[in-house]
Amino acid sequence: MIADCDKCEELLQPYLDRELTEGERQEAETHLAHCSYCARRYRFEAELRMFVRQATADEPMPPELKEKLANLRIAL
Amino acid sequence: MSENDPDARRIATEARDRVRFEEDALALADQVYRVARHLVGSREEAEDLMQEAYARAFRSWRSFQPGTNLRAWLLRILTNLNIDRGRRIQRGPDLQPLEAGDYYLVDRLEENGGPISEEERVDQRLSQDNIVSALSNVPHDFRDVIVLVDLGDFSYQDAAQILDIPIGTVMSRLHRGRRILKKQLAEEAVQ
Repeated sequence: MIADCDKCEELLQPYLDRELTEGERQEAETHLAHCSYCARRYRFEAELRMFVRQATADEPMPPELKEKLANLRIAL
Repeated sequence: MSENDPDARRIATEARDRVRFEEDALALADQVYRVARHLVGSREEAEDLMQEAYARAFRSWRSFQPGTNLRAWLLRILTNLNIDRGRRIQRGPDLQPLEAGDYYLVDRLEENGGPISEEERVDQRLSQDNIVSALSNVPHDFRDVIVLVDLGDFSYQDAAQILDIPIGTVMSRLHRGRRILKKQLAEEAVQ
């Protein structure tokens, strides 16, 4: 079981990136269906990715910067 | 110049193309900024970098091939400027932190706060500040790839072109960078 969990951890990131082969995906999903330890970790990792994206999206570009960028255009 | 003058037509067409390019580039500025903000350490650096990148983009607009990915083109200029100006050297530790496994963060959080239940959300264990701070502490080579792929939604292929590195290097840096990020997060969240 430990060896399966190690393998499952190895497949974690490519699984979330949808980069696994069909065989590897099935292997990961079969393990996840029977191992609550790994299933909890996969759930955490998937949520973590979303949270990282949300946490870093909260800082909009300052409006004055957009104006400065527009002013960089070269006059016709 | 009359409308039938070939030179006049060429100049008018070029002016129209340039204005369209500038409008398209400015329309992407929010998205480019979002990536730029996390490639560098501060808002001020990001603003400087954006202005340099857009100034260069506006000067060299003719080298952009219409129909290709303008956001990736702009970010390639921006990341090159970031490297050229040596900002990368000033930031982050010279020694790459030792990486932990993919389960390192969740294991540390569970050690310190008990098992994470099925209903519990990640933001009950980690804060936005944890994320922003931990990401800024990931060494730049790794952070660049994480920011482009995980925050900027670029494909591995686009990230490889923007950073001018092989796609295999994108994948290996992403793999290791995410582990480093989780180790940094564990250090931020678990005192």
